[in-house]
Amino acid sequence: MTNTTKIPIIVVKAPIKAIRSLGSCTTAPGIFASTKLGDTSFAVRNPIDGYTFSESTRLYQEQVKELTSPPSPASLQNLPSQKSIEEQLFDATASVKIMTSRVAMHLEREWREKLFNQMDSLHDPLEWMEEDTPIEKSSFATFLKAICQIKPKNRPGLGLAHGGNLIAAWTSGSNRLTVEFLAKDRVRWIISRFRDEEPEQYVGQTVVSHFLESLQPYQPNEWFGK
Amino acid sequence: MKPLSYKQPPITEAVIEIKFVTTFDPVRLDEANKKFAKNYPQHQAVKQQLIKINLPNKEQQGSKATAQREESVGHRRSDPDVTQLLLALPSSFIVSQLAPYSGWEAFFKRFVRDWNVWKRVMGHNEIARIGVRYINRIDIPVVDNVARFEDYLNYYPHTPTSLDPVLAYAIQTENYLSNIDCKLTINSAVVEAPILDHMSFVVDQDISREFNPPQKDSEIMSLLEQIRLEKNRIFEACITDKARARFQQI
Repeated sequence: MTNTTKIPIIVVKAPIKAIRSLGSCTTAPGIFASTKLGDTSFAVRNPIDGYTFSESTRLYQEQVKELTSPPSPASLQNLPSQKSIEEQLFDATASVKIMTSRVAMHLEREWREKLFNQMDSLHDPLEWMEEDTPIEKSSFATFLKAICQIKPKNRPGLGLAHGGNLIAAWTSGSNRLTVEFLAKDRVRWIISRFRDEEPEQYVGQTVVSHFLESLQPYQPNEWFGK
Repeated sequence: MKPLSYKQPPITEAVIEIKFVTTFDPVRLDEANKKFAKNYPQHQAVKQQLIKINLPNKEQQGSKATAQREESVGHRRSDPDVTQLLLALPSSFIVSQLAPYSGWEAFFKRFVRDWNVWKRVMGHNEIARIGVRYINRIDIPVVDNVARFEDYLNYYPHTPTSLDPVLAYAIQTENYLSNIDCKLTINSAVVEAPILDHMSFVVDQDISREFNPPQKDSEIMSLLEQIRLEKNRIFEACITDKARARFQQI
């Protein structure tokens, strides 16, 4: 297992024509140009302001702003949560559905629809226990990266660990692959299988970009169905 | 140019916005919000706060600074999948589509349906701005630790080769589209890739009529159709055949 992370770089080779200087940014209807305290960013603004858009679009806008003017430490604060359980569950499922929309072009429509059904089922208010934690967005982001790379034919069963990490399980006969998707692009996996009727277990933890590679000695297509 | 349709369009969000000169009565806005509940069952309140601070100038020494807070509430509604959004705001009506994008026809049909509901409830208010925005994210593969965006995009910054390699960028241009009397704003930037082994580049175009926007429905729809053709032409101009090939993959 290795933790080496390569930082991709990008290069410009082709000559292009000059880019015109920036014009003045329109303010209408951007009356919500800054919604963060201490945000002094005057960088790229959009005529239709991001305040009104989806989480993914707002994320893009924040990233564009951060490229040119990082947010001040004072602006990095969380608002206290006063939401009901139902509202928290709605927010959680809405967030992961919007995150899924960001990679919808890399997923089969049917796969996406069934995933949404699983997410709704996992966050059913009628079966929700007070000590449960809604899904963590960072865990779901790791899951999406893995799924878009593996493109498994077989769908996993999904569950939530304490703390809101997403758990996926693929079963083939008595053999089972269980994966916990962690924050910051990390995954933890357990393989339980039988060889000559003797149980064997293998455990690993790696970055999501090395996940598929780390499973190769265990013939993962048994679970993924490729 | 005939608009291309892709199996996997890179559109992450498409938006049509109608902005009004004055704000609507909150009671009527609530009424409109209820009318949209059938098609958009999920609801979130959108609170907007405006704080005006008046500071005394030199001639007004001794006067105190005064502050005035104005709060307005709008409505953000969505379908159960949270891919079809509608915003009913005090001074704006917005329809938005997240990926997967099923094409202009379906999106425009939904806009017309909702616009008719909006007008029935809200009545007439002078339109200040009509805007269409398409946010595209092009995922470019990283090969040998390099993402060659110039092979996929025609819209990127010109930097001296002595500054290579480029690690990230954000650019904005504004243009006047004389054929449809609209303003074009394009933002493009490197953003975090949601999939492995790729770098992502947003090409975000906004086309709007802010000066003398049409007020009649037939003229509004005609303008939106014109904008549609322009946004297709502009997007095609911003990408290369190599990018087009990626959008056809399934």
